[in-house]
Amino acid sequence: MMEGIALALLLCLGFALVSKRLNFPPVPMYMLAGIVIGVSGLNIVHQSDVSDFLTRLGLLFLLFTMGLELNPSEFSGKKGPFFFSGIVDLGVNMLIGFAASVLLGFPIYEAVVIAAAFYISSSAMAVSSLIENRKLAAPESDTILWVMVFEDIMLLFIIVAFSAASSDPVRVLINAALVIAFFFIVVRILNSKIKILLERDDNIPLLFTFTLVIAAAGISGLLGIPETLTAIALGSALSGTNPGSLEKHAKPFREVFLIVFFVFFGISIDLTSGFPVIPVVILAILAVASKLISSIAIGLYVHKNPYSGIEVWSETTARGEFSLAIALMYGTPLIAAIIAIIVLITSFTGGLMGRHSFRIKKFVLKMRLRFTLKRA
Amino acid sequence: MSISSREMPGIGRKYELDTDFGDKISLVQLESGGVQLYISSKNGESGSAELTLSEAVRIANILAGSVLKAEDEGVSMIFSSLSDLPIKLHSYTLGAKTDGKSIADLKIRTVTGATVVALSSSGESILNPSPSSRFREGDSVLVIGEEEQISRFAKKYL
Repeated sequence: MMEGIALALLLCLGFALVSKRLNFPPVPMYMLAGIVIGVSGLNIVHQSDVSDFLTRLGLLFLLFTMGLELNPSEFSGKKGPFFFSGIVDLGVNMLIGFAASVLLGFPIYEAVVIAAAFYISSSAMAVSSLIENRKLAAPESDTILWVMVFEDIMLLFIIVAFSAASSDPVRVLINAALVIAFFFIVVRILNSKIKILLERDDNIPLLFTFTLVIAAAGISGLLGIPETLTAIALGSALSGTNPGSLEKHAKPFREVFLIVFFVFFGISIDLTSGFPVIPVVILAILAVASKLISSIAIGLYVHKNPYSGIEVWSETTARGEFSLAIALMYGTPLIAAIIAIIVLITSFTGGLMGRHSFRIKKFVLKMRLRFTLKRA
Repeated sequence: MSISSREMPGIGRKYELDTDFGDKISLVQLESGGVQLYISSKNGESGSAELTLSEAVRIANILAGSVLKAEDEGVSMIFSSLSDLPIKLHSYTLGAKTDGKSIADLKIRTVTGATVVALSSSGESILNPSPSSRFREGDSVLVIGEEEQISRFAKKYL
């Protein structure tokens, strides 16, 4: 069991080095590593209880740190452009993803799962691409980051909606609302105590952070609501204390367990028997195209400029960790495999686009010029 | 010059500065600790650099000039809230000229503008000595004031 995980991690280490060398997003590389040694490849490493547990921790830490970025007081003052961008991004991509899945013959529930994964971009890839490609000064980078925040909030709603749909909706909704309120009230009361605790320079803040995340999962088990939800809610409630310190201590856990999550996702997907290649390729192409439509709309509305839309497009095309999380939580094995391939294709394309968005803009400008000249 | 700053979720904090000469400088403090610096000049050229925290501190010091200038037995300080007022602290060993006289006798503040803030006499140091404190030959004093006030003190009493 452990030797499989060791082999997977070792391979990931190698792929991580390659991805750093080539300046490429590491997430698809980890998945590729998984595919190589998993069911669809050499079939030498298999899922186990241990790998499932580590994967679960990866997801919890991912969502907890995502919650830390969701500080309600920060976006309460946000106005028009933030909501417009977020809603256009949600509406256009969910709709295209859903319609395409239904037309390709997927049942309604599965089409909703695909649509949710199809909609949500990778915040991690957008952030690292903006930093590495030196785009932070551009006004579009703010728009992109806030679209990511909006998507994170929507993920919270998606999780609530799915779990309400799968069991007693009223009970789930009431419990979820109660737990969220409970977290915010407790954190508010203990705010100064938590801050003092997190400022200690011994190992207490580390233990505290780890315990919090595990406790969030424990509470969810008691109340019958998803632990992903409690992890985000707890993170968001704690964003008013010292999110920097919590992030610092949760990060090492997140990084390591997430790699296990990605590689075992690759290991588990089955591309050998009856995998619908053509529908998946269509979905992946649409995934790139639909973000173009929503991004151009955002560019035109927020920046009054279609080229800003291309910039937004190039940074939001990559789907990643959140799409895989949705696939893992709600998808059948086939849906999970489909979403994995969409993530693989869009993250490679998105990675390239993020790096070459300047060339794409120049190319479009040239084509437009040629087109207008021809008409004149 | 105008400066604005805002939060960049997941990245850090961005500061934008429009200079009087029409150039634009953006500084992004990354959550990971470093800084990205972007300059777009008014003639359309632009450039960027990523700095580690210690490099950023180094550059900040160069740009700000030295806020703390040390010299032999003295130091000049500039506080950002009193940036037009360089404050100097200097220590001197007193000689025969002031032997047996008190701060009040010498009218140090009235004559020079400087103030004696500490006195070390026969191995004992006191902060804020009273005007009646008497100096003896070989005592050390710490004087605070502006540059000219300090040099007036040195000329008059040493």
